[in-house]
Amino acid sequence: MLQFDRVSLDHETETLRAEVREFLDQNRAHFPVPNSDFSTGHDAEFSRKLGARGWIGMSWPQAYGGGERTFFERYVVTEELLAAGAPVSAHWIADRQSGPLLLRFGSEQQRKTYLPKITRGEAFFSIGMSEPDTGSDLASVRTTAVREGDEYRINGTKIWTTDAHRNHFIICLVRTEAPSENRHAGLSQIIVDLREDNVQVRPIANMAGGEDFNEVVFTDVMVPADRVVGEPGNGWAQVTSELSYERSGPERFLSSFRVFVELVRACGEDPAPHEAAAIGRIASHIMTLRRMSISVAGMLQNSKDVGVEAALVKELGNNFEKMLPEIARLAAPASANSGVFRQAFEATLLLSPSFTLRGGTREILRGVIARGLGLR
Amino acid sequence: MSEEQTTHQLIVDTAVKIFTDHCDKPLLDRAEKGEFPDALWQQITENGFDQLGSVSSGTSVQDMFTFVQQCGRFAVPMPIADTLLVNRWCESESAAATATSGGLYAIGLVDGGEVIEVPWGRRADKVLAVQQGSHEVRVIENPEVIKLDTNLAGEPRDSVVCPADAEVLHVAVDPYAQLAVARINLMAGSLQALLDLGLQFANEREQFGRAIAKFQAIQHSLAVVAGEVAVSRRAADAAVDAMDTERFLFEVAASKARVGEAVTIVAERVHQVHGAMGFTHEHRLHHFSRRAWAWRDEYGNEFYWQTLLGAHLAKLGPDRLWPFIATRD
Repeated sequence: MLQFDRVSLDHETETLRAEVREFLDQNRAHFPVPNSDFSTGHDAEFSRKLGARGWIGMSWPQAYGGGERTFFERYVVTEELLAAGAPVSAHWIADRQSGPLLLRFGSEQQRKTYLPKITRGEAFFSIGMSEPDTGSDLASVRTTAVREGDEYRINGTKIWTTDAHRNHFIICLVRTEAPSENRHAGLSQIIVDLREDNVQVRPIANMAGGEDFNEVVFTDVMVPADRVVGEPGNGWAQVTSELSYERSGPERFLSSFRVFVELVRACGEDPAPHEAAAIGRIASHIMTLRRMSISVAGMLQNSKDVGVEAALVKELGNNFEKMLPEIARLAAPASANSGVFRQAFEATLLLSPSFTLRGGTREILRGVIARGLGLR
Repeated sequence: MSEEQTTHQLIVDTAVKIFTDHCDKPLLDRAEKGEFPDALWQQITENGFDQLGSVSSGTSVQDMFTFVQQCGRFAVPMPIADTLLVNRWCESESAAATATSGGLYAIGLVDGGEVIEVPWGRRADKVLAVQQGSHEVRVIENPEVIKLDTNLAGEPRDSVVCPADAEVLHVAVDPYAQLAVARINLMAGSLQALLDLGLQFANEREQFGRAIAKFQAIQHSLAVVAGEVAVSRRAADAAVDAMDTERFLFEVAASKARVGEAVTIVAERVHQVHGAMGFTHEHRLHHFSRRAWAWRDEYGNEFYWQTLLGAHLAKLGPDRLWPFIATRD
C-alpha cells in the first residue's frame, strides 16, 4: 500500500529559511520577472552566488564540496527559490540529478573532478536521454559509444536537451553494445564535454518563445574511457534510479506558483466569493501536495524505497500545475487583464504543456503507479 | 517501530478484525432501514474503542482519528466519531453534569428551537448542538425527537428539540471544524475502501478473455484513484495534527476542500470500473460511494471551506501568501 508518513520539517530549517529569504531579497535584480518554473531562468552568476552560500549539493559529503546538510534543509532552499521565482535552471540538473548520480555510481576520480565544481556553481550539467526516435521508450536509444583503446567514439543525436548551449557537460545514455534480446542490456552512461569540437548544439525554439532546449549531435566525438559512469552496461539500472531521484520535489507542483501570487494581488484584500473560493482551492491543493512531497523527502532521509510514492506526487503535482492557471484565469477580475497577472498567466500557460512531459510523461507515471498497485 | 506506530497498527488491526467479522453488507442494509446495530456497538465498547482519544484512556487524538478512518473504511453505521468527540469535549470541561461514560452520543446543528442533522438522534443517549463559528455547544440530555430523516447514504439524520435551558458547554477548539475533521477522516476511509473494491473488481472481472485490470485504460484510471486516496489520507492526518495549533481552521479548510474534490473523482471512476454491477443495490460499492458523497456536504462543502481559506489569504496579501503555505508543521 502507498504510504505517506506524517513528516514535518525540523526546527533547524527555520533559520536556514530566513537566510534564504534574506538572500533572495538582496538579489531580486537577478529576477525582475519572477517565474517559478525550474527550467526558466539560466543565470550563471546567480548560481555561483548560491554555490558560495553552500546551497548547491547541500546534502553531499564535505569531501566533495557538499555541506552534509539534511534532505529537509535542501528542501527548504529549493522551495524558497522556486516560490520566489528565482533563476535556478543553470545548476538545477547538476544539483538534483547529475551530482547524486555521480555520488552513487561514479568513480572516486569523477566525484573529485566534478562534484566540487558543481557545488561552487561552476559546472552545469544537461541530461542526455531523449533522442529524435526515443521518447518514453528510453531503451530504444541509438547513440553509440564504441570502445577504441582508452577512448570511446560517440555517434548519435540527443534532443530536448535543456540548456545544452549554455551548460558544460552532458551525461549521455548510449549503446556500448549492440542491441540484443534483452533491450535493457548494453546501455551505459558517459560524461561528455559539451564544448568539444565534434559536439554540435542546435537550439530549438519552443512554443513559448524560449530557446532553452536543443538538439545535440555527436559526430565521432572521442571521450576518455574513464568518463563512463558506473559499470559499462549498467546504464539502464542507473537511469531508472536517476529518474526517481527527486521526482517528487517542489519543482513538480510549484511551476505555476507566480500565477497564484498575481491572482491574489489582482483580487485584492476583499475578494468576491468566487475569487476567494478560487484562491482557497488553489491553496488547498498546494498545501496538500507540499505535505506529500515533504513526506517523500522524509522517507528518502530514512532510506526508504519511495519510487511509487515519488511518481505519484509528480503525477498529481504536474496535473495541478496545469490546473492552477485555468482556475486563476476564470477567477481573475477583468482589471487583471492588462496587468502583471496577465503576463504571469501567459508565460505559464505557454510553458504548461511541458509540465506533464518532462521527467516522465503522465502516461509513464500512471504506468509506474499501476505497477505499484499490482495491476501490471 | 516506534511506540506511536505500534499503537496505530494495533488500532488498525483490531478495528479491521472486528469490522470484517461484524460489519457486513446485511448489517449495513439493516442499518439503512433504521435498525441500530446493537451487537456491533457492543463489540466496540467491549474493546474500549468508544473511549479512544480521552485522556483517561491514554490514547491520543491521532489514535482516535485512526479509528475513525477505519470506521469510514467499513461504513460503520453509527455516530462513533460524534461519540468520541463528545467524550473529549465533556472530559476537558470537567463539568460534572456533562460527565460521560459509555453512552452513544450524537452532534447536530442548531436551527432555531431545533437541532437538525443529528446522526441517529432517535437512538442517542445525549445530543450536542453546534453552530458555525461558535465555541458554545448545547448539551441536550434525553433528546426529544421531532423528525426522522436520512442523508443520501441512508444514514439517520434526525431533528430533535433544542430546549431553551439546555446546558452550554464551551469548547476551546472550534467545534464545527472538529466535526469537519471527523467527516474528512470518514471520507479518507471510504475512499480507501473504494480503491480496494476497484482493484479487486478489476482483477476478478474478465472481458475480452482477460482481467480488465490488464487494460491500460483501467490501469490509468485506478492510478488516478490511488493518487486521490493518498492525497486524502495525508490531508486527513494533517488536519488532525493541526488540532491544537493556531492554524487549525485553515488546515481543516484546505483538507476538507481537497478531500471533497477527491471524493468526486474517486467515486466516479470506481463506479465506472465496476460497470453495471456497481450500480445494483446488491453490490456493496454504493455503501461507500453514497457515504462519501454525503460526507462531502456535511460540515461545510468544498466551496464553503475554499472561500474561508481564500478570504484569509486575500487579507494576508500576495507577499505573505508563500510564508503562510511554507509552514514547518
